[in-house]
Amino acid sequence: MAFEPPAPPLAAVEELASGGPVAAGTTVAAGIPGRARSERVQRLIAYTAMFAIAVLFFVPFLWSLSTSLKPLPETAHFSLLPHTWTIAGYREALTQYNFGRYMANSAIVSAAVTFTSVFLASLGGYAFARLRFPGRNILFFIVLGTLMIPDQLRLVPLYRMLTIFPLTHWNLIDTYQGYWAIRMVSAGALFLMRQYFLTIPRDLEEAAKLDGAGYFKTFWRVMLPLAGPALAAVAILEFQGTWNDFFWANLILQSPPHWTIQVGVAQFSFTYGTLWNDLMAASMIALAPVVLVYLFFQRYFVAGVASAGVKG
Amino acid sequence: MAVAVRKRGFPRRNRPGAGREALVGYGFVLVPMAVFLLFFIYPMLYALYISRFDWGILGPAGNVGWKNYSHLWHDTLFRRSIKNTLEYTLWVVPAQMALGLLLAVVVNQRIRFRTFFRGAFYFPALASSAAITAIALYLLNVNGLFNKVLGLHKTWFFDTKTALPAITGLNAWTTAGTMMLFYLAALQAIPTDVYEAAAIDGAGPWRTFWKITFPLLKPGHFFVAVVSIIGAMKVFDQNYIISRGSGGPAYATYVVVLYIYNTAIKDIQLGLAAAAGVVLFVVIFLFTIIQWAFFGRQEAA
Repeated sequence: MAFEPPAPPLAAVEELASGGPVAAGTTVAAGIPGRARSERVQRLIAYTAMFAIAVLFFVPFLWSLSTSLKPLPETAHFSLLPHTWTIAGYREALTQYNFGRYMANSAIVSAAVTFTSVFLASLGGYAFARLRFPGRNILFFIVLGTLMIPDQLRLVPLYRMLTIFPLTHWNLIDTYQGYWAIRMVSAGALFLMRQYFLTIPRDLEEAAKLDGAGYFKTFWRVMLPLAGPALAAVAILEFQGTWNDFFWANLILQSPPHWTIQVGVAQFSFTYGTLWNDLMAASMIALAPVVLVYLFFQRYFVAGVASAGVKG
Repeated sequence: MAVAVRKRGFPRRNRPGAGREALVGYGFVLVPMAVFLLFFIYPMLYALYISRFDWGILGPAGNVGWKNYSHLWHDTLFRRSIKNTLEYTLWVVPAQMALGLLLAVVVNQRIRFRTFFRGAFYFPALASSAAITAIALYLLNVNGLFNKVLGLHKTWFFDTKTALPAITGLNAWTTAGTMMLFYLAALQAIPTDVYEAAAIDGAGPWRTFWKITFPLLKPGHFFVAVVSIIGAMKVFDQNYIISRGSGGPAYATYVVVLYIYNTAIKDIQLGLAAAAGVVLFVVIFLFTIIQWAFFGRQEAA
């Protein structure tokens, strides 16, 4: 029985993300005589429904954004726009409640994880796609096998391992290193890179080899530049995953100086649950980087997120 | 269970430089493999090992065999967490599927502003669990927007009757965008000529959807259902943040992962927590196998 994890049809998703041709399966059938009027009515209904859904999906964020710009007493009032616009919520969150620090912590671990993931996943993905070595299939099978191990099973053993690391007896709980180590590279990222490298024609590599380039140079100078879209997808996937992560950050980065912004938001809601303007300001700060990345790199983002289904 | 790796390129025999290539290959995969073995494979085995010990704050206090597992079986709190998780799964999976399908069909139409709508529908799926939970706490507080709009005075997350349903609604809303993406991929796999035939036969959009699109989406339904079930069984962040780790009110939102977390971190009963982790893993594993066995090969298409 040979199986590989289900990967979404990346081509279809990318086409969609880039606003490509309209998909098959639209239910609007054009060109039937006598239908134009009823179709117009239908379309009107469809647009109205869609705007209604879009508004429903957006309202919670707009309401929270508005609250983050209100002074505290005003948060009890029922008004979409603030009467008095103020950035006091953001100022208090960033200084008084240390969200500046939490943001920096999030940036540090996200950058470290993203950087090593992209590098190690492309290195390993290239080897599994192109180089031949005894045991390659078994090793790749192990890589795919890790996709089946849920984080919830790893919680107890990893907590124990990070408390007293095997052999060295380091205590890595409450350290950036401990957090970074367990997320250094993911099988999903490596799998995505391998699949992409498999689609690149061999001619260029062979030309490089004839020119006397070594394996690493061929990988670094020829293959990596060709893998731009996959590198972007992996980088975005890992950045979003790490920036948004609560599960591991909450477990490992325990003391306030090491909290990430997500842990900070949760802890703030525990302690100052009703300072709504500050809490919403902190939440907006926690959302902003991923939203910005999404706005600018939507195309890669959707491809990456769709492939996250691989993670199961 | 060999993984299919296509062999192409050079002939295999007497290839010059094969030894060097193998060495470079090992070098390239060395660090990633070390990470996977040390932080994935080893912890899985270590979890099985820990689960057979009475393992408290001072470390392993003795091999108790399967006793942790039988303890779980009789543990009312664990049973409660299973019940809550199942109840949550039973509601959230259909909700996610229905919402995801609705959004996918809407976005798949020949319409203007497709990109805008897709972005809008996907937006909640971007948000971190912590931020979205904070927003939900705000909107669903007694004086919050939700109550004001509906003219109610409920304490959604802090009432034993409504706490779990409120989390269900919250998570259905935030994951609908992801399910939409999977359904979109499935919708695109339906050939256009079926629709042309339906249009010629004079079928309206409603009929076309229920008689053609919906049945032809069967593989899509199945895939989304499995992804959704696996995700539902892992639910933790929202329950943890809303109840401040207690799974309250009165254990109404106490789910399996919360049980694992609290048993390990608060009670420091690692053996018991590891056993609960293994139980959850076995259930998730079964669904993962189903998912891979049915959909793994489709990837080539």
